[in-house]
Amino acid sequence: MRVSLYVSADTWLHRLDPMTKLLMAATGVTLTFILTRTESAAVLLAIFLAALGTGRVLRQAASVFAGVGIVAATFLIVQGLVHPTNATPLIALGPVVLYTEGLLIGLRLALRLYNILSATLILVLATNPADLTEALVRRGAPARLGYVIMSVLQIIPTMVAQSAAITDAQRSRGMETEGSLWTRAKAFLPLMGPLVTSSLIATEERALALEVRGFGSTVRPTFLRAETRPPHAVPVRILCVLTLALGATGRWVLGW
Amino acid sequence: MGAQGKSSPWSMQFSTLTIVLIPVAIGVNYVGKLIAAALKLPLWLDSIGTVLAAMLAGPWVGAISGAANNVIFGLTADPISFWYLITSIAIGFVVGYMAFTGWVSSFGRAVGLGLIVGIVATVVSTPINVILWEGQTGNVWGDALYAYLVGSGWPIWLASFLDELVVDIPDKLATVIVSYLILRALPERLATLFAGGRDQVERL
Amino acid sequence: MAVVEVENLRYRYPRQTTLALDGVSFTAEPGEFVGIVGPNLSGKSTLCHALIGLVPHFYKGAIGGRVVVAGLDVHQTPVAEMSRRVGLVFQNPFTQITGAKLTVYEEVAFGLEYTGAPREEMAPRIEEALRLLGLWELRDRSPFALSGGQMQRLAIASVLAMRPQVLVLDEPTSQLDPAGTREVFDAAATLCRQGITVIMAEHKIELLAEHADRLLVLHQGRLVADGTPRDILTRAASRELPGEPAPAPPVTQAAASLDWRMPGGGFPVTLAEAVAVGRPIVERHSGVDSR
Repeated sequence: MRVSLYVSADTWLHRLDPMTKLLMAATGVTLTFILTRTESAAVLLAIFLAALGTGRVLRQAASVFAGVGIVAATFLIVQGLVHPTNATPLIALGPVVLYTEGLLIGLRLALRLYNILSATLILVLATNPADLTEALVRRGAPARLGYVIMSVLQIIPTMVAQSAAITDAQRSRGMETEGSLWTRAKAFLPLMGPLVTSSLIATEERALALEVRGFGSTVRPTFLRAETRPPHAVPVRILCVLTLALGATGRWVLGW
Repeated sequence: MGAQGKSSPWSMQFSTLTIVLIPVAIGVNYVGKLIAAALKLPLWLDSIGTVLAAMLAGPWVGAISGAANNVIFGLTADPISFWYLITSIAIGFVVGYMAFTGWVSSFGRAVGLGLIVGIVATVVSTPINVILWEGQTGNVWGDALYAYLVGSGWPIWLASFLDELVVDIPDKLATVIVSYLILRALPERLATLFAGGRDQVERL
Repeated sequence: MAVVEVENLRYRYPRQTTLALDGVSFTAEPGEFVGIVGPNLSGKSTLCHALIGLVPHFYKGAIGGRVVVAGLDVHQTPVAEMSRRVGLVFQNPFTQITGAKLTVYEEVAFGLEYTGAPREEMAPRIEEALRLLGLWELRDRSPFALSGGQMQRLAIASVLAMRPQVLVLDEPTSQLDPAGTREVFDAAATLCRQGITVIMAEHKIELLAEHADRLLVLHQGRLVADGTPRDILTRAASRELPGEPAPAPPVTQAAASLDWRMPGGGFPVTLAEAVAVGRPIVERHSGVDSR
């Protein structure tokens, strides 16, 4: 069980330093909100998919895309049914009428959803969280924030494993986890309570262990590894800034 | 803030203990969501950790737990959660401040706190929903209500507010009640340790 | 010159009425191995915590007396600063892993990074600590993939990389099997030979009797005895110390019941000593040569 979607590989995207990929993701999300027309959104999506494809992470991205498929479908249906500007019926299934205007708006929302996801996944799928965290702390983010991020990524698999063990134990004692809504709701606390209580009690020992390792220190931390940046990071960064400028020009000067 | 260190819930001193609480809170959020989904409950129950952190260690730790929760999931697993950062922060602040002023002293008050948290979460989330998704929430039941209301000519803002409200009130009510029950079951020693974080050492 | 000086230490936890430590005084020299024994709740853990400042800085409460370790007044010095002079290892191997590092090697680097050690010093210090604890071959493993004994040695290596003058261990083997226990005691003995002062609270009295230079006996927060293992265990086997049941190992109790005494006085504290003392007596009584 893993929290992070990152899978290590050796591509141009994986080799880039975390800050460059952070800039790429930020550029992508900004462009999503600058270029709001359906055609522009589609072009952006194509660019993001190209980046994900050449970075060999398209398969992982596809599973994330599928996960929000229902949300995207809801956008199309709800907006197609009820958007205030609806006037031109497109599809009629008995009393249910989907309108062109609403469907277009739903499509734009779905594109926006996938654009935000794709742009962010450029960073998420191809960056080791440990490297990203360290890069941020080097640039002045609090070292304690770095600890929190790394700790979460390790604590969650541990807690999920414990929760599975508790579920098995409670079931073997005859607790019902299926049936009516009330039966299932009653099962929540016995499943959750022991895990949360023991995790909270363990904070004391963990805090003591960190204290004796100098965690409360007020000096700036140093780092085991030296920072490296591949040669193609600079051109990629320049490209990001140029793309952003192009997008802004397109929107406000050329009316894209 | 003019209040004296010890008596103010707004003191920004973070001990190692409160820092260690934050990843645990985020883990609890995650597991809560997982168990709720496994039991097919029509609720998210994904902020129990944030609420408990706020009850134990005050509004700042609650807010930071909430913020870190959404940032970390935004950056690793679920990019959309990033946008609801502000909602999580608001929950942490409200619970942390109200717990300090006595809103977790009894079951009845915890129910009141749950309703307030539900309303706050709705008020903060609605603008985000409107900006991003024309007011939809992505929750099937809430969106069905939204579709009905907008279809009947209600303004998007109001429909979106009610869409979020019907989902958030039961969810946050359950979240706060579960957190309250767990808080009551914690050993006294742990509560003392968290509460004493800002105390001074006496000389014998 | 003493590296640990504790003078009339008194401590009370928050919201408690009784003292957890009451008038404790002792000193320890560089390279000395000091064992702390006593029943549960006698104040062993509290004393361990007081040597690095977790008592009172982490737990708060009320404190009196003086604790000076490696030249620093513990009551006036933050724990992060003390951590560069004093290492502390706890009972539970699992919760001592920071949970923020992916490999054994990085785990040892944690303390060095947080206390701002220069990068060029890190690699040699980490390698030295890992080799000393026999973990060098495991450096690329996940800390969570280690056995209990290995995790406990990792905890020791992690504080050791910070080059402490004093290593305090609070019941480090209570959750380990016999093999893991042996690993931890051997590591502690190695460190002593390198001039590090080892202070270990422990229930496994046989092992302390074998390794420690001195034993401190705590009872209800008071230091009731301080002496060599033989002196302490002889008194314990003779029921001269408070805090029943007596903490003497079975071999000492058996020797005491037979009144087998060492040539220099006192009862044997290890099996080897008991055999050395007992064999001539047994042979004399049975009248046969055992060979």
